[in-house]
Amino acid sequence: MNADFITVLWKEWKEIVLERSASGAGSYRPLILVAVLGIFVPFKMPPERFFSAAQLLLPTFLSAFVITAVIADSFAGERERHTLETLLASRLSDRSILFGKIAASMAYGWLMSIACIVAGTITVNVVNWHGEILIYHDAASWLIIALGPPLMGGLIATVGVLVSLHAATVRQAQQTLAVGFMVVMFGIIFGSTMLPAEWRIWFGKILFTWSQANLALAAASVILAIDLALLGAVMARFQRARLVLD
Amino acid sequence: MTELAIQAQGLTRTFGAVRALDDLTVEVPAGSVFGFLGPNGAGKTTTIRLLLGLIEPTSGSAKVLGFDTRTQGDEIRARSGALLEHSGLYERLSAEDNLRFYGRVAHMPKAQLEQRIQELLTHLGLWDRRKDAVVKWSRGMKQKLAIARPLLHRPGLVFLDEPTAGLDPVAAASLRDDLAALASRQGATIFLTTHNMAEAEKLCNLVAVIRQGKLLAVGSPADLRSRGGGQRTEISGRGFSDTMLAALRQQADVSQASVENGRLMLVLKDGASAAPVVSLIVREGGEVQEVRSGQGSLEDVFLTLMDEEHKS
Repeated sequence: MNADFITVLWKEWKEIVLERSASGAGSYRPLILVAVLGIFVPFKMPPERFFSAAQLLLPTFLSAFVITAVIADSFAGERERHTLETLLASRLSDRSILFGKIAASMAYGWLMSIACIVAGTITVNVVNWHGEILIYHDAASWLIIALGPPLMGGLIATVGVLVSLHAATVRQAQQTLAVGFMVVMFGIIFGSTMLPAEWRIWFGKILFTWSQANLALAAASVILAIDLALLGAVMARFQRARLVLD
Repeated sequence: MTELAIQAQGLTRTFGAVRALDDLTVEVPAGSVFGFLGPNGAGKTTTIRLLLGLIEPTSGSAKVLGFDTRTQGDEIRARSGALLEHSGLYERLSAEDNLRFYGRVAHMPKAQLEQRIQELLTHLGLWDRRKDAVVKWSRGMKQKLAIARPLLHRPGLVFLDEPTAGLDPVAAASLRDDLAALASRQGATIFLTTHNMAEAEKLCNLVAVIRQGKLLAVGSPADLRSRGGGQRTEISGRGFSDTMLAALRQQADVSQASVENGRLMLVLKDGASAAPVVSLIVREGGEVQEVRSGQGSLEDVFLTLMDEEHKS
């Protein structure tokens, strides 16, 4: 299982990197993202704001957004390019294929978010250099750096698998995921204003009374629970006999 | 007793109201090249999927390399190679990486894998282009690579689903030669589906004909030719009228008579002489310039079987 998982991960990683380094505008997209979020935005930002836990939500969501494209290509693309049945006719188990693909997508998203954080840290230090290195200093920030991208990535990756298995093409899967992602984001932002007053007061109390580290841990726990539930659904759906007949 | 690579007993698979495979009973001896012939939609791909344990039969059973397809699909897939309907190549990856991936899937030791990749790519004339992304290759080159992939780990059984489909005649002939050489060198059992009769005749030592999920005939190409084809006689000349054709069809020794491209095409019963037929043509006012007789090809047998099944 482990060797097969690594083999699938290796193949997926090569495909992700080669797809994005192929000729055309696509090859610059990751660099543009890192340049904007890792250099341009931090360049204009005061250090105390850049090194705040809330600011880390940006690379966390970036990681999730990047995964929507990669995961659709990995699952819907494999079927669209007619390589899935050959893969299923091999000795690989369903789980090695599933976990190898999810892990590769998540690793790519995580790498992108870490690249933005590292580039941003260097940029802020260069712009505001006073003889000492500036760095994240609170527990909440480190918790978000460590847990945010993988947990959000896992959430998007599992939703992405479910969407991709139902989509006819990569483009359809990517569009469904991108639109769904936007709807959820705007839903969270604007939906909070529509909540009943008592609920808003209750959330407000939590936000102001809990420490940022506790808030990060609570959010991580909720997302982890959702991740596990979605993973269960994905494992139930990703069955060889069903995929062949799809 | 001959060792069997595949043993199917009453294998049936339905998809809703459609009976894709109907009571297939067939045995494939180990080490043979078995041709599974049939038109599009005959049930060839469904059979391969069933034998690989990718889908379950509605009824019946099959053993592949001694393993039950219902419960031991993993064992079958670990010991076999398959080129399915599509090449299954990752076109962004290089030829080397495509083979490396499937070699790793088969748990081949690294040194052995690298040596085998070199051996196969060299044999197929692809070694110099091994680092190119497959997307840049011609269709013929891709198909050669696709055939190399299931042979990589030297499996005991290889399924090839229409390996030369879509290739031009030159590329197809070259691929057939490569396939024959690789098969004989490796000594594996090959289960080949095709609707190219010349290909089956050249490569297979055992063939089965299937239509609408039903097995119509099974045997060696020579057996089938002698069993169902009859004796083909082609007569060049002039004056082949409809009256003459009607008269020929009434002869006891004539199974079929038709005019194709100005030539009179006859199927005579086995052992029948062409002389009385030629006399009849001359009596009916026809002019005979050349008479050619011979055993029917596998294609003739195939078409006859399809025709008989269609009529029944």
